[in-house]
Amino acid sequence: MDLTLIVVLVIALALFFDFTNGFHDTANAMATPIATGALRPKVAVALAAVLNLIGAFLSTEVAKTISGGLIKEGENGIFITPELIFAGLIGAITWNMVTWLLGLPSSSSHALFGGLIGAALVGFGIQAIDGGVVMSKIILPALLAPLTAGVVAFTATKLAYAITRRYDGRPDGRDGFRYAQVFSSSLVALAHGTNDAQKTMGVITLTLISVGAQPVGSGPEFWVIVTCAIAIALGTYMGGWRIIKTLGTGLTDVKPAQGFAAETSTAATILASSHLGFALSTTQVASGSVIGSGLGRRGSKVRWRTAGRIGIGWILTLPAAGGVGALAAVVATMGIAGVLIDAVGAAVIIGGIFLWSRRDEVSHRNILSEVADSGRAVKIKRNPKPKRKVTS
Amino acid sequence: MIDWIAFVIVLVASLVGASVVVSAYALGLRLLTIGGRTPVVAPAEFTDAITVISPEEAARAAKRAQKAARKNPLTDAQKRLAVIGGYSCFGLSGLAVLYGIYLIVPAFHGG
Repeated sequence: MDLTLIVVLVIALALFFDFTNGFHDTANAMATPIATGALRPKVAVALAAVLNLIGAFLSTEVAKTISGGLIKEGENGIFITPELIFAGLIGAITWNMVTWLLGLPSSSSHALFGGLIGAALVGFGIQAIDGGVVMSKIILPALLAPLTAGVVAFTATKLAYAITRRYDGRPDGRDGFRYAQVFSSSLVALAHGTNDAQKTMGVITLTLISVGAQPVGSGPEFWVIVTCAIAIALGTYMGGWRIIKTLGTGLTDVKPAQGFAAETSTAATILASSHLGFALSTTQVASGSVIGSGLGRRGSKVRWRTAGRIGIGWILTLPAAGGVGALAAVVATMGIAGVLIDAVGAAVIIGGIFLWSRRDEVSHRNILSEVADSGRAVKIKRNPKPKRKVTS
Repeated sequence: MIDWIAFVIVLVASLVGASVVVSAYALGLRLLTIGGRTPVVAPAEFTDAITVISPEEAARAAKRAQKAARKNPLTDAQKRLAVIGGYSCFGLSGLAVLYGIYLIVPAFHGG
């Protein structure tokens, strides 16, 4: 087996995964400021890209835990091979592309875990997977993340409106939340950069360790950090406009006060979870925040059908990415020809989905125009006027 | 299994954190409005999902705010106090953002 070829393929695929991760997750930070008009769509994605780039350089802690902890080397004699990482990445990328095509925000880390789990199942059988760990690290957090963020965002939105509410009909200054949105969404983007680029760094480092190019337990090399940072920043700048549309306008109509409350809740929840040892997915937190803020503003509606579609996407993430990962692993373990078949297959799938997406392109030019146009055409009923509470 | 105590701590911490930041900023806006300096921020692009406001509407909102400010019953000193209070509230939420950056960058708090 030509180790160098497979290593190069894995690194290329890992960087592409990083890229999809970037454009998949632009929405987490920037969907709400784009929806409220706090930032121009292009400016928003550029800001997010720069912050992701900076964020990637700030920390390598997560990368170390992935390269050191995701697959236990030696403990039960299980060694992950580059072929299996390769297969796992194909599963993760395929799922990321499909959810992007459908405009569904879904967790890139869960797609990565799903793909790797599927590949490991083929490589080592069922005993390679610890069901308890999958439950406590992936499935339960997926339920708790949107719930937590939803409760926090609901409370924050209620507070924001209660404090600025005026009963005398004078201007309430809620426009001012637009300024604040720039900062709160930037914080989310920065936190995302420190977390998500790390995953790819971890995967590449894991690969280099598994072929003996790097000592066990060492951190990512500098060139790995640089390339991962650039890949995620480029992906972010591309902007997953389909997902931004879903998160910014599909779930609920976002107004500045609401957007600020949602972004602050996302930032607070992510920071709390990553510092108090209960890791939650950025995407799931951000989606929960948007729904929570939609419930918290009077007169606003949450479109539960869209929320339901997103939920189904989350449930399918592990099995779908795992299934593709397993399939790719079956082919990849057949030797160098299998790996090449996998690589071509992955290229065909990615290219196909990209071409398919061109049929109804969503970009920064038409991201919100439909909604805006319909808003101009139809006379919109303003929010119900708050009534002064009758005190007896 | 799952670490429920850690989860509850995360829930409470994020609830408190987000509430403090949002309340401080909202209070700041309220005080600015009381002080007669209602901020009117037109969207960068007029695509707001609900209130699709045009530049004309934004100008009208600014005029309304000015009119409301003229009818303000507060004395100048009270207004000044309110505005100062408002900016201190913004400062407070700004500090919270800085604390967030502190938490994000491991170099600042030793991993």
